Amino acid sequence: MDYLISDLHLEENRPDITGAFFSFLDQIESQASRLYILGDFFESWIGDDENTPLQQEVKARLTQLSERGIQLYFMHGNRDFLVSEGFEQETGAKILPDPSVVELAGQKVLLMHGDSLCTKDTSYMKFRAMIRNPAFLKTFLARPIEDRITTARQLREMSQANNSEKSMEIMDVTPEEVSKEMLAHDVKVMIHGHTHRPMIHKLVLNNEPAQRIVLGDWDQKIWFITASENSGIQLHEQPFPAPTTS
Amino acid sequence: MILLKTNYGEITLELDYEKAPETAKNFEQYVREGFYDGVVFHRVIDNFMIQGGGFDVDMQQKPTRETIKNEANNGLTNDTGTVAMARTMDPHSASAQFFINVSDNNFLNHTSETTEGWGYAVFGKVVAGSDVVNKIKGAKTTTKAGHQDVPVDEVIIESASVVEADSE
Repeated sequence: MDYLISDLHLEENRPDITGAFFSFLDQIESQASRLYILGDFFESWIGDDENTPLQQEVKARLTQLSERGIQLYFMHGNRDFLVSEGFEQETGAKILPDPSVVELAGQKVLLMHGDSLCTKDTSYMKFRAMIRNPAFLKTFLARPIEDRITTARQLREMSQANNSEKSMEIMDVTPEEVSKEMLAHDVKVMIHGHTHRPMIHKLVLNNEPAQRIVLGDWDQKIWFITASENSGIQLHEQPFPAPTTS
Repeated sequence: MILLKTNYGEITLELDYEKAPETAKNFEQYVREGFYDGVVFHRVIDNFMIQGGGFDVDMQQKPTRETIKNEANNGLTNDTGTVAMARTMDPHSASAQFFINVSDNNFLNHTSETTEGWGYAVFGKVVAGSDVVNKIKGAKTTTKAGHQDVPVDEVIIESASVVEADSE
C-alpha cells in the first residue's frame, strides 16, 4: 500500500501533531511500501544544519521506516523548501521535484505541493520565484544559523499579516492552472496539498473524467491518501489519537 | 494504593492525592463502589496506551457518575507507567475511564487552558506489575462493536480494591 500525506506543519509547540504522526506511522508501518510527504511537513526549515530536538526526533523515526524497507519521498512545500541533501542522507528519503508524475494504483498521477497552482496570489508568486532562485538559496544558506532564524521569523510574520487580508478565493488554486498542468503531464489524477481544503474534485479534461484530490492539513485531524491496485486511490480522515471516551 | 486484579496478572497503582486530589478521589470512589469489577481494558495500542474502565465484557458501557474537572495542569506528565483519565473532546469530561501510558506521550500533556491544550490529567502511576502492563500492551487487537483496538482475548479487571500501604 502507498500512503500520501502533506501539511502536517510539525513544530515544537504542537506536540499533539507529532504524536499523531508517530502513531499514524505505527499504524501503517506493517503494510506501507511507499510514503509520499507532499510538503509543509515542517512548519519551518531554515537549513539541514538547524537540527532542533523535534527535527532530530522526526528524522530518527523516518530513518527507522527507511531501514524497514519503506521508500520515503519528500516534496518541498512553501514552508520547508530548504530541506536538502543532508535530510535525504540522514533519513533515506528521496526529494521529489514539484511537480512529479508517479505511478499510483496502476495509473499515472501528478503530485504537487500546490502553492504553484495558486497563480492568482500574484504577490506570493513573486515571492516564491525569489526564494526558490538557486542564487538566493545559496546566499541564504551560507549565512549563520542565527541570522537565518531571524529572517525566517520575519518572513512568517509578514506572511501572516498578508494572509489575513487576502480573500479565500485567491488562496485556493486557479482551476485553469490545474487543467494546464494536468494536460501538460498527460494525467487523469492530480494530488496536492497546501490549500488546507481536503476534497476530491471531479473534473472533465478533454472530455474525459479526471480527478484532483486535495490532502488536508493536520491541525485538528489526520488526513492521508492510500493507493493500491485493489482499492484504488482513497482520501481518509481520522481523529488524532487520544484516550477518548464516547 | 489500588490493586487491579486482571486475568493477565496484578497491577498496583499509587494515586497522587496531593497533585490530583479530585481525580484521585474520584477514581478511589469508583474502586470502592466496585464499578471496575468485571470491566475491561477495551482499547490497547502498543507504543501508546492501554485504556479501560468503561465497558463490560460485552462491550456495554456502564453508567457513570458526574464528570470531573480536568487536573492536567498539575505538572504531572504522561510518562511511561503513569495513569491518567480518558475523556471526550471537552477537557472537563472525564468520569470513570482511565488509561496507563506505555510510552512517554508528551503530546498528551497540559500546555494551555484551551480545548487543544488542556491535555490529559495524570493522577497516579504503576508501582508494581509493569510486566503485566507490558503483557497487555502487546495483546492482539481487533475491531469489536464499532470500537478499534479491542483486545481479541479480553483483558478483564476481575476486581479493583483499595489496599493500605505497608507501614514499613
